[in-house]
Amino acid sequence: MPEAADVSIQEPTHGYQLRVVQEVLLALLAKEASHGYELRARLQLALGPLAEALNAGHVYVTLNRLEKAGLVTSERVGQTDRPDRKVYVLTDAGHARVIEWLEDTSWPKPAPAEFHLKLVAAAAAGLGDPVRLVDMQRHALLAGLAAAQRAALAEPDGSVAGLLLEGVVLRLQADLRWLEACARYWNETRG
Amino acid sequence: MNANESLSRVGPVLRTRGLEKEYGRGEGLVHALNAVELEVASGETLAVMGPSGCGKSTLLHLLGGLERPSAGEVWLAGERIDQLSEKALARLRRRAIGFVFQAFHLMDELTAVENVELPALLAGRSPRAARRRAVELLERVGLTDRAKHLPSALSGGERQRVAIARALSNEPLVVLADEPTGNLDSAATLDVLRLLDGLRSSGQTLLIVTHDSRIAATADRLISMRDGAFVEETRLTHGTTGRLAELAGLEG
Amino acid sequence: MGRILLTCRLAARDLRRRPAEAALLLLAIIAATTTLTLGLVLHGVTDEPYESTREATAGPDVVASVSGDPFLGQPADLAALEALTDAPGVSDSSGPYPLVGVELEADGVTARDLRGEDLGGAGVWAQGRDPAEAAVDQPELTQGGWVRDGGVVVEAGFADALELGVGDEITLRTRVCGPWLGEAPDCRVAIRRSFEVAGVAVTAAARPYPGVCFGRDCPEIAEAIEGSPLADPPEDEPTIAADAEAPQEPVEPGLVWLTEADARGLAPMESGLSYVVNLKLADPTDAPAFVDDRFPTTWSAPFLQSWQDIRDEHDQVVKDTAEVLRTGSWLLGLLAVAGVAVLVGGRMADQSRRVGLLKAVGGTPRLVAVVLLAEYMALALLAAAVGLAAGWLAAPLLADPGASLVGSAGAPSLTMSTVGLVTAVALGVAAVATFVPAVRAARISTVQALADAARPPRRTPWLIAISARLPVSMLLGLRVAARRPRRAVLSAASIFVAVTGIVAVLAARAQFGHDAELVGGTDPTTDRFNQVMLVLTVSLVALAAVNAIAVTWATALDARHSSALARALGATPRQVSTGLSASQVLPALVGAALGIPGGLALFAALGGGGDGVSTPLWQLLAVVPVTVLVVAVLTAIPARISARRPVAEVLASERA
Repeated sequence: MPEAADVSIQEPTHGYQLRVVQEVLLALLAKEASHGYELRARLQLALGPLAEALNAGHVYVTLNRLEKAGLVTSERVGQTDRPDRKVYVLTDAGHARVIEWLEDTSWPKPAPAEFHLKLVAAAAAGLGDPVRLVDMQRHALLAGLAAAQRAALAEPDGSVAGLLLEGVVLRLQADLRWLEACARYWNETRG
Repeated sequence: MNANESLSRVGPVLRTRGLEKEYGRGEGLVHALNAVELEVASGETLAVMGPSGCGKSTLLHLLGGLERPSAGEVWLAGERIDQLSEKALARLRRRAIGFVFQAFHLMDELTAVENVELPALLAGRSPRAARRRAVELLERVGLTDRAKHLPSALSGGERQRVAIARALSNEPLVVLADEPTGNLDSAATLDVLRLLDGLRSSGQTLLIVTHDSRIAATADRLISMRDGAFVEETRLTHGTTGRLAELAGLEG
Repeated sequence: MGRILLTCRLAARDLRRRPAEAALLLLAIIAATTTLTLGLVLHGVTDEPYESTREATAGPDVVASVSGDPFLGQPADLAALEALTDAPGVSDSSGPYPLVGVELEADGVTARDLRGEDLGGAGVWAQGRDPAEAAVDQPELTQGGWVRDGGVVVEAGFADALELGVGDEITLRTRVCGPWLGEAPDCRVAIRRSFEVAGVAVTAAARPYPGVCFGRDCPEIAEAIEGSPLADPPEDEPTIAADAEAPQEPVEPGLVWLTEADARGLAPMESGLSYVVNLKLADPTDAPAFVDDRFPTTWSAPFLQSWQDIRDEHDQVVKDTAEVLRTGSWLLGLLAVAGVAVLVGGRMADQSRRVGLLKAVGGTPRLVAVVLLAEYMALALLAAAVGLAAGWLAAPLLADPGASLVGSAGAPSLTMSTVGLVTAVALGVAAVATFVPAVRAARISTVQALADAARPPRRTPWLIAISARLPVSMLLGLRVAARRPRRAVLSAASIFVAVTGIVAVLAARAQFGHDAELVGGTDPTTDRFNQVMLVLTVSLVALAAVNAIAVTWATALDARHSSALARALGATPRQVSTGLSASQVLPALVGAALGIPGGLALFAALGGGGDGVSTPLWQLLAVVPVTVLVVAVLTAIPARISARRPVAEVLASERA
């Protein structure tokens, strides 16, 4: 029986980035024009504990890009005793982009072909026991599940971030179920 | 006076050495457990997962004295229990072990509070003390308003919560849970999950056998079993939010 | 047609799966049907032997006797007796023969007098006879030869009881007592003569030993005298001589014949002699009317008894036996109902789960009920048939008139009504026991049956609350019993019926034991009676024991889950098994306690307990603890076995 493994991963140095951060910002602007600061705050609210991992400056960089692409425009708003702020406004093109994104049903994370191939390769090359690999992966995912679940439990009832964490948990559960199927399969094959 | 004071609080609460269990004979011989070594520390929550037939329930039964091992030793709080007589085992269960079963196993003709007070009555406590404790425990699991209901009038989740309250009746050293959410829907599973998490944070030593990964995820430590042996063990540390973020789809 | 066939097939298959249970049920109902058959059939079975004896001995239609009054010095009124021989309707006669009450002393024969003192002999009526053959009532010899000087012929039943045979030496002695006034009459042996047993014979002219009576000492005459002038004291007090003596009347007497000279030689005084004459009537059926017309109005007049009276006495033992058996059969029947009900109750719970299987063949819970009913009806019919056959075969044995009559009891006739009643009782037992569960099963919907909601345990809140205050074993036991109140009631009822029977038997034994002490040697009537009662008692106890074990098994099975759970929660196996036993002992206690007054009431209802003889209190009080102990022991074994099964196994296989 292997030693209890502490599963941890090195944090990436630049923080995490959201792939669809462009579309999200556009959508947030669809409601009303906002500063970059407000937009970041609302993103944080939606992501809960995960918001910390978001790269601080990423929002502003993305807003610039969106302006260059013509999806938003900015105005300077003067304030009495503070420096001027940029307020961003959604353009028609931006609006159209948001609608398009909202109606897009493509779902991220298709079937885990990568892991599947990993197992096949290990079995074929005799480099590793597929069942052992599955167990290790399961445990890694379970550690993640544990973390997500704890965070979810810590959220107050009705918190929108709690819903996100629930999503993490349930996705992991689904993956774990598939991993169990893998274990069964590879166990029978070798046995 | 807590009867458990006579049992050691130092060292692991549960310990096994070379634990084995066989069923059947000759060609029908089944090795349910193969030389299992285990230690559970005080206050720890341990989850054991595995496919059906891997021996996890058998392990639980042996730890709780509900069955005798074919070979090996089982130690509970520094006392060896695998050789005890049925009578001594019963007394031990009364003092030190609480059970939670997949099928709840409540008495159909007793109300919730009567079910919860039963272990205390069996341990010889006065009816009043037993009832008081039962009421406390029902409050703890959030079922005070269901105290006078029969099991048939309770939902699955409520029944299991009553069962958990019952398991805590005699302040056990360890609570052994065998597939506690096996018969529950997802909403009830969440209720039980919250309860188990609460137990863990209150310092109760807990051993949960489960195939539900959510339940397993409440544990401090997780062991996977296959074919009667442990195959993988992981300490489920608090993931950093960075880890969480990756799992949520925030790409690094 | 198809459904009937299906029902039969299912019933047969079900019975084959549980042969032990079917056998038990069969035995229980057979016990009831056999005793009932015997009880019904014993009627009139002794008619034949008496008829043959009457033919063989030219038995009389009327026996008349007359006595003297020794205190007043009056000899017997022989003329009145002889006048009877010429009465209208009389076709023939023999006698008058002298009759004297004496004691018989022989090896090993003892008797006690009414005060309980050992007399050292047995009471006898000695009748003087002609060596020549008499026209009416010539006793038929079964051994040896007829009377001769110094030789007596002993009546066959008497000889059998006292184990006398030809050639035995006996002594006849007459005891005389006087004066009868005052507290302790002084009795002494006045005459003693030795004789040899010349022969053994049967007669139809006397009642069976130990009830031989001649006229005025017959019990029914004493009752009849109550309202007649004979009961009133005479108008003028006769003077009784201070030294007047009278022979002591024999107690529980038998009958012997000797020569007239020998008989007279045994009489201490002329007034101490009685005389008897045997009459034959033109129409034998007139005998009771003949006797009633001549009911005596004075003590010196002749006392008569008809041949029907004598025959009825021969029958009496068998009649009493028959009555005991009939009563016993009802008790056994009740026990059988209780036992079957428990078994059926347990079966129905099991059967509900199989409804799903039957649904596949187009069955419903109703079908299940019908199948069960069919099974038990079939068993009941079989039991009725076996009971009728067994009763028919055993009746001659029980009706054996013994040595006092020739010819054996014939095969009893099984009338249609007997067959019908026995069959009805057997079917009734099965129906009553199966009725409630069958109706319940027919009513629940298939859905419910599949969900096995058929028999949830009953909840009695106050019992649960009380049990919490008791020690653990009692807590478990009381709760187990409270889960199935109907079964607890059946259990108590079963013990109640058995104890009722046993207490009635004890009361009867006390009565007969008291009576039997007055008799010399063995009393054949009470012997047979005792045997029958012993068999009945054993059957009751056996059936009740089987019921107790069956109930315990059913309870243990039913309580399997909660017992295992209790052990998982910390109850020791001993606490669990004690609890299971207690759950049986408590109803048994109630049943036994109620059975004592029940048994006494039953005995009184059957006409017992008239003499003021009461059953010894210690016996009655001992019944309860003995019953409880027996039940505890019987139930301990299934309880222990059930309490030792591995907990995990039970919990894993049972639903929540």
